[in-house]
Amino acid sequence: MELKKQTLGSLREMLDTKQISAAELCKEYSDSIKAKDSDVLGYITVTEDEALKNAEKAQEIIDKGEAKALTGIPLAIKDNICTDGIRTTCASKMLENFVPPYDANVIEKLKAENYVLLGKTSMDEFAMGGSTQTSAFAKTRNPFDLSRVPGGSSGGSAAVVSAGLAPAALGSDTGGSIRQPASFCGVTGLKPTYGRVSRYGLVAFASSLDQIGPIANSAVDCGTILNVICGKDSRDATSANKPAEDFNAKVGKDIKGMKIALPEEFFADSTDDDVKNAVLAAAKKYEEMGATLVDCSMKSLKYAVSAYYLVASAEAASNLSRFDGIKYGLRGEGRTFDEMIRDSRTRGFGDEVKRRILLGNYALSSGYYDAYYLKALALKQQIIKEYNEIFENADVILTPTAPTVAYKIGEQETDPVKMYLADICTVTVNIASLPAISVPCGYNADGMPIGMSLVGRKWDEATLIQTADAFEKTFERRYSEV
Amino acid sequence: MKLYPTIGLEIHAELLTNSKVFCTCSAEFGGEPNSRCCPVCSGLPGTLPVLNSKAVEYIIKAGYIMNCEISRFTKWDRKNYFYPDLPKAYQISQMPRPVCLGGHVDVTVDGEQKTMRINRIHLEEDAGKLVHDDIERVSLADYNRCGIPLIEIVTEPDFHSAAEVIAFFEKIRLMLQYAGVCDGKLEQGSMRCDVNISLAEKDSDKLGTRTEVKNLNSTKAIQRAIEYEIYRQTELIENGERVVQETLHFNDATGETSSLRSKEDAHDYRYFPDPDIPPIIFTEEELAAIKADIPEMPEQRVARYTGEYGISAADAKVLTDSKRVSDLFENALKAYNNPKPIGTFIVVELMRRINLGELDLDNMKFTAEDLAKLIELAETGKISKDNRKIILREMLETGKKPEAIAEEQQLWIKEDNALLEKTINGIMEANPKAVEQYRSGETKVFGFLMGQCNKALKGAASPASIKAMLEEKLKG
Amino acid sequence: MDIKTIDHLCNLSKLNYTDEGKEKVMGEMSAIIELMDTVKEFDVVYDDTKDNNSISYDEVRKDVAKPSFPTEKLLSNTQPSGNCYVVPKMVD
Repeated sequence: MELKKQTLGSLREMLDTKQISAAELCKEYSDSIKAKDSDVLGYITVTEDEALKNAEKAQEIIDKGEAKALTGIPLAIKDNICTDGIRTTCASKMLENFVPPYDANVIEKLKAENYVLLGKTSMDEFAMGGSTQTSAFAKTRNPFDLSRVPGGSSGGSAAVVSAGLAPAALGSDTGGSIRQPASFCGVTGLKPTYGRVSRYGLVAFASSLDQIGPIANSAVDCGTILNVICGKDSRDATSANKPAEDFNAKVGKDIKGMKIALPEEFFADSTDDDVKNAVLAAAKKYEEMGATLVDCSMKSLKYAVSAYYLVASAEAASNLSRFDGIKYGLRGEGRTFDEMIRDSRTRGFGDEVKRRILLGNYALSSGYYDAYYLKALALKQQIIKEYNEIFENADVILTPTAPTVAYKIGEQETDPVKMYLADICTVTVNIASLPAISVPCGYNADGMPIGMSLVGRKWDEATLIQTADAFEKTFERRYSEV
Repeated sequence: MKLYPTIGLEIHAELLTNSKVFCTCSAEFGGEPNSRCCPVCSGLPGTLPVLNSKAVEYIIKAGYIMNCEISRFTKWDRKNYFYPDLPKAYQISQMPRPVCLGGHVDVTVDGEQKTMRINRIHLEEDAGKLVHDDIERVSLADYNRCGIPLIEIVTEPDFHSAAEVIAFFEKIRLMLQYAGVCDGKLEQGSMRCDVNISLAEKDSDKLGTRTEVKNLNSTKAIQRAIEYEIYRQTELIENGERVVQETLHFNDATGETSSLRSKEDAHDYRYFPDPDIPPIIFTEEELAAIKADIPEMPEQRVARYTGEYGISAADAKVLTDSKRVSDLFENALKAYNNPKPIGTFIVVELMRRINLGELDLDNMKFTAEDLAKLIELAETGKISKDNRKIILREMLETGKKPEAIAEEQQLWIKEDNALLEKTINGIMEANPKAVEQYRSGETKVFGFLMGQCNKALKGAASPASIKAMLEEKLKG
Repeated sequence: MDIKTIDHLCNLSKLNYTDEGKEKVMGEMSAIIELMDTVKEFDVVYDDTKDNNSISYDEVRKDVAKPSFPTEKLLSNTQPSGNCYVVPKMVD
């Protein structure tokens, strides 16, 4: 079986028609991981025994004819999502041996459908980065070209799906961390509306921006997973109480007359030509399908990266203060409390995490709070306003997911400012709490995948999936050769 | 140089909710270390705070009873600092948009009424407890108290003496108890007081440098700490030295304040809105409903006792100065609606025993209904008033019902008319001059004759029956 | 961005750097702050009542206590003493 080409739909059918047992399916992926992950380095923890146990339990349910959408389906989970009894490291030395005593809400929901846990995937440390090269344990490589980055911070999740080491995965997205690696690895990734999925059990990076979402081989697969993991959770006050819906309900419906906006600032010089061309070609495709293209502008885009990093770093600095080695995590040495926690944190955190903490505390500190943090919040309000104006005259927005394709390992990760600026295409979506999906739309001369992002109104994931699916059906997708 | 103290207070009061302010752990006091905790209040990764609506209701009630403005839009902020009793390394508190703003409480000190202004009241979470082990040179942290809801009442610097501070503190404590929002158990740390104090020459428009003495948890400590600080600052100023602005700890054993060097000195708390907690917008109806639900306050009870029940102002104050006493009185009234004798008995007999430590209202063996029954028996002539004390002693010690005790100790007034007649006749015969005096119009002498009859009958008849028969016989 | 500021931030963040590390991060932070400074060109004040993220009082959690977490499980990622977290003393 060509694992890379499987969708959740095809696997569900195989399981339900007994073409394959859950244990056999699980073994296929486990064997693939054993064969290829030493090249891809997508996983931090592989849970082979646990997976088999999950599969056997799932099989009982399937045999009873009570299988749900994800029963027996193997999935990979980003290592910043807490899994009870299974090491959760956030790719940091600080949490190298941390075993959470509880499950994240999304894991509870997946367990309720008897999914199969293949393992915990690598990421940029504490989700801070765009290359996964800041991971303390597994510096994941791009399956399309192992000398290139897979993107980040959910680089492990995107890479394992791209390499056929999992049919789908969960990632998290704070400033593009699902969409950009999906784009770099040639797969599909969805960031839901902020509040759609509970953050309980997601190790917090930036509380007002983080969302958990699926990375898979198709938009429909993303919808299938979102159907399971979404929902109000009494343990997350920011999760929204929305009526149940099937996010794949609009798939196949005609997109004729749909208005697709292309904000000009996303297609400026900062975006590479091959990326621009691929996305504009996709826009043309939509036009051929009957959609109308709309010109528009987002004047505040030039402030977006700064506003994002100020808010995200401030929240992160506060969220990461709890890591001191006293309750859990790397325990430093010192004669006094102050000495000890400084040692824990200095040894436990990598350079990028430390920079973000310093930046966050700078933005919040007395004398700078108004000029930086509050200003960033004012910009947040402005960006939301500009999106609302665009959506008055459009149903979805189309932009490149990233300004470039995946670059070579070592080429730019050492330049923080360059890395931050590379987030220009994705951060405004998180700032405005909107849903967005990244879909492969082309390949450059080197065969590296190019991704486009569709951004929707709040709560309108169904339209995004419908629109993304419409393009997928016409697009000849390539697979990695790893 | 006459130095005049200016004092401002920050009072923390723990709220009487079932669960903690940001998680569902029990908010009960005590418990084995870390037995009332969960991943949220212990600061585990991936956990989120979820606000408790009862805590919000209680701070609104506290705001109303202290005459504050309730903010229609309120939100929570993070106060960031590192300390081992703070698992998240930030405390969730409120900065620019607290639930209550402004306000005032009147206190009476040495017969004079003063208005003390309140700056704000906000809702925040308590921190854990540290036990220091000096031998092992470590501290042990117990997070049971983490997340207990606290209201912080910040006053204006309107106080100028320890007496004013104590009167205010005790009044707040009483009002919060009556409102049902705080149990006021100082020995359990339910309320703590930080005192900010500076000295300046009277009529000087400049305030002196102020120091802060933290975590005073008894009126005695408040008194001693203020007195010591006034003394210490006076000494410094009179010697031409500077008062250093600092945070101090009060040592109960030595009666002195000392610098808290373990906490960092200039903290930059980097307050910012907590993104995990949505702000709240209140409607007028919601606030009105909460306000209407506030129980009777001490002043209202005093007015009712003096106005409706005819109880003296002094007695009414005694009855309402402790909520448990007042509740005991109210519950007794529900069983037997005769306020004056019940009230007087509580003031005279029960308070004495409470003050002697013989009666602990938190550990009563008898009930309010039993008390009511005791008074009823006396008022309806079934036992003598003198014997109430004797029965009370037994009730206190054994919890037996008053009727059972009267039965056991043979304290019932037996209405033996023959004995009664015989005795009264005997007294009248033995005191012919008194009888004549009464018959000639000197009714005052009735008391003397009554007294003689009471003595002779030794409680074997009710005063009412004695009076009736004596009167009749005297009429001739 | 000068050494004094970096030291102050390190105190707030509870992080240590070697001397070279400090020089390096000072340079990096200077460049980062320069990027952050673009927000200063945007001249609008933040209004916290306009975020549209508030809820009503009756949406707030009702006051029901639930069983706490088993102490052992809670402390499973550290070495407790008498069921307490062990912390070095505050001051030398």
